[in-house]
Amino acid sequence: MRAATEAKSAAKAAAAAKTTAAKAAVAKAAAAKAAAAKAAAVALVVGLIAALVAVPLVSLARIAAGAGPTGIWRALSGPQARVAILHTVAVAATVTVLAVAAGTALALAIERRPGRRRLALRLGVAGPLVIPEFVLGFAWSQAYGPAGLSDRLAGLTMPGLFGPAGIIAVLTVYGLPLAYLAVTAGLAARADPALERAARSAGAGRWTVLRTVTLPLLRVPLLAAAALVFVTAAGSFAVPQVLGTPAGFATMPTLVYNDLAFSASSAAFTGLTVVALALVVLVLLALGPLDLWLARLRPSARPESPLTASTARTAVDHVVTVIVCAYAAFAAAIPMLTLVLTALTRGPGLLPVPANWTLANFGAGFSGGGGVALLRSAGLALAAAILAPLLGAAVAGLARGRWRGPVATGVTLAYAIPGSALAVGIIIGYGRWLDGSVTIIGLAYVAKFWVFGHRPVQAALDRLPPGLTRAARLSGARPATAVRTVVLPPLRVAMLTAAGLVFILAFHELTMSTILYGPGTETFAVVIMNQQDLGGVGATAALAVVLTAPVVAVGALATWLTHRSSRSARRPPITPIFRNDRGLTYPRRR
Amino acid sequence: MVSLTPDAVSCAGLAVGYGRPSLAGLDLAVAPGETVALLGSSGSGKTTLLNGIAGFVAPLAGEIWLAGAVASAPGRCLPPERRRIGMVFQDHALWPHLSVLDTVAYPLRRAGASKAAAHKGAQAILEQLNLSSLAQRRPGQLSGGEQQRVGLARALACQPAVYLFDEPTAHLDASLRAAIGEEVARRRHADGAAAIYATHDAAEALALADRVAVLHSGRLAQLASPADVYAEPDDLTVARLTGPLSILDAPITPAAPGKSTITIGPTQTTVPSTTAPAPAGPTPAASAVLVRPDWARLERSLDGSGALPGTITEIRFRGPHTDYYVATPAGTVLIREAGPPHADCGPVRWSLLRARLMPREHQR
Repeated sequence: MRAATEAKSAAKAAAAAKTTAAKAAVAKAAAAKAAAAKAAAVALVVGLIAALVAVPLVSLARIAAGAGPTGIWRALSGPQARVAILHTVAVAATVTVLAVAAGTALALAIERRPGRRRLALRLGVAGPLVIPEFVLGFAWSQAYGPAGLSDRLAGLTMPGLFGPAGIIAVLTVYGLPLAYLAVTAGLAARADPALERAARSAGAGRWTVLRTVTLPLLRVPLLAAAALVFVTAAGSFAVPQVLGTPAGFATMPTLVYNDLAFSASSAAFTGLTVVALALVVLVLLALGPLDLWLARLRPSARPESPLTASTARTAVDHVVTVIVCAYAAFAAAIPMLTLVLTALTRGPGLLPVPANWTLANFGAGFSGGGGVALLRSAGLALAAAILAPLLGAAVAGLARGRWRGPVATGVTLAYAIPGSALAVGIIIGYGRWLDGSVTIIGLAYVAKFWVFGHRPVQAALDRLPPGLTRAARLSGARPATAVRTVVLPPLRVAMLTAAGLVFILAFHELTMSTILYGPGTETFAVVIMNQQDLGGVGATAALAVVLTAPVVAVGALATWLTHRSSRSARRPPITPIFRNDRGLTYPRRR
Repeated sequence: MVSLTPDAVSCAGLAVGYGRPSLAGLDLAVAPGETVALLGSSGSGKTTLLNGIAGFVAPLAGEIWLAGAVASAPGRCLPPERRRIGMVFQDHALWPHLSVLDTVAYPLRRAGASKAAAHKGAQAILEQLNLSSLAQRRPGQLSGGEQQRVGLARALACQPAVYLFDEPTAHLDASLRAAIGEEVARRRHADGAAAIYATHDAAEALALADRVAVLHSGRLAQLASPADVYAEPDDLTVARLTGPLSILDAPITPAAPGKSTITIGPTQTTVPSTTAPAPAGPTPAASAVLVRPDWARLERSLDGSGALPGTITEIRFRGPHTDYYVATPAGTVLIREAGPPHADCGPVRWSLLRARLMPREHQR
């Protein structure tokens, strides 16, 4: 009896031990599986970065290194390359100084005061961002160049438009909004009005506060903006191509393009890879350490605070309004209007009056496969717009902890690498399989614009309170359900924003497309540039209008929608997660 | 009689707000050396008023005078840096890019001191506040209480004629709150500056201030000494803002001057009483009896003469004192007595020591 009980209890204990062990084993297996899944995901992301960024760069370096040290030296010290490097650095540095100074001044003048006109002023500053660089450069040449609109109407031409002055002016139009937006974000995140008020009541005047409190607080965003502007200006191909090449003014991106397009020798190819690599090094020197450093700083979690109330400063207000309106008219409105008029006018020498209007230019522009190219561009842009946010979300969601900084930096560097260099690297790396195909262009788009899929999603993810998924889990949601129900919905707006941004950038892309396209795979932007090379001014203008108009329309709609939603969201003090829930961008689910 | 020293701060017919007035028709004068507490719930316009006095918001109407000179009027605003005002902010407002020493030296630098002199002066102020060990730290490396003391040190360095405190203890725990409060009182007595202290905490306002200005629904509801706003609130909202209370619904008959007879259930009691001024508009039909927790007492025996009937329904021990909730025929009355609980739930006798007769609020 006793023995039987003992045996029973022993069996029970053994069984218990067995279940415990089994449970432990299951748990262990599950943990191992989760770890393995995570490792696989991280490997996937790192592998993609390697394929899209590292392979092109290494290929570039391999060809360049093949020339040997003397070859590299010769390529860099040759008269053409030396001049191009000098031009690139000088233009990019000047643009950086001008754009950051003007962008900061405008942001401080516009963003620190309440007012209904702020949206219009912001649009005046940031609007040019939705115009393709090539189109704006071409539009400036039509508006302010010899035989341009101002020349014919008033006998005025902009001195030095074809050459460094014109290039710097147009690139500053693109750099200024970047600085403006960086400072605006910095003001919202860092410069709590109470900090400035504290300085005022400590006896500091308006300018002293600016010097001792506001600008020091904005140091990090200003540095980031400067790096971004420098990188964009140094890598720009379209503006120097349309305004510099006619005047014989070469920069590194135009040198790479023209060497690739017009010389066939392998020595020349080696030379251009060296120049492209030098361009990469230049840009990385400007951006790389900064991005690593910025990644280490914790995002500031300060809630948005109400703006400083202005004490009667309407006179200053009016001056700022007039300045911004004059700037927007000169920089974008007049050139774009000229472009439309040129597209509608029968011949280059005629005045743009209704008697001379015609739609023939559009017919001429689309006669040579323009329509197919337009569809191809839209398809490529759509593919990039779908892939980039998904890959961006993958990077944001999977790369955490110690992987976060390096992975984010890798994605950012892919954007920082000038398009010319990235395209040449991709040709060397993948050209033997994909040369002249649509796929190779799409590959380049995804590599280049991945960061725009990543940054908004990462920012939205950082804003989520840490307890969200925990609360969902405690409420009974499985991990996947928790992600689907409480993490993804607030990210949806960010992903849509990212998709829209990538679509615009890819649709307008010219630098890489001109290098990568083959017979029958021209993108629409390439068709426009070739049309301009052929000298068809009216047809070029017509195609440029077609390239720009849809994005401007969509941009205007999006601005209107965000304005509406932000206005309706400002009233009740709600958590940022739901802020995007209001308005039409993202209707609330019932 | 005309006072020879002008008021440190004086507001006349003042309306302040962002676009729409959040406070209007405000008349308030603060004498040099005086502390006035602005007591009100959040959104009552305390911070807006402080921002108006500091010169960050121009008034919509009325004037602000500082030391006998107009500082603010509609469309005219003396810049904040020329007002001799030291402000302590609710969220500290410490500059993240400056060390504690540089932060405190900042006002001295702005007043024209050389860098060395400013550092020396800042060092002295930090020593007074026992903050010397933190001199080289950045705000991010300080605790909430330390940050607020640095904010106080910065305000001291301004050598102001007026201190403005914008809920300086709102984010601090109770012990730090008390420490900051003591520091504020000591400072002010030391340099004789006026102070305006915004808070939503009645205990803090009553303890710190010479006079309490109670703000609600966009106006100054009552301005009086702490004892008066506590014992003789003008209306029920002021009464609720200035401390715990019970309202009894009982018939009242006037007795001798300054006394009333109050009927609670079967028992009548005659107690010293004051009456709140009747509000403008239709005369209220009846009065309510306001009882502060220290205006009533539990009787030790159940058959005390003149004692009122009741039943203890709830007992809350609060450390230095105990709260008893006593259900009576006229409603529940809160009675606060020193020490730990000395009675149990159940029937009890209690007596009323004094009362404030309030016009009944209009039906909502």
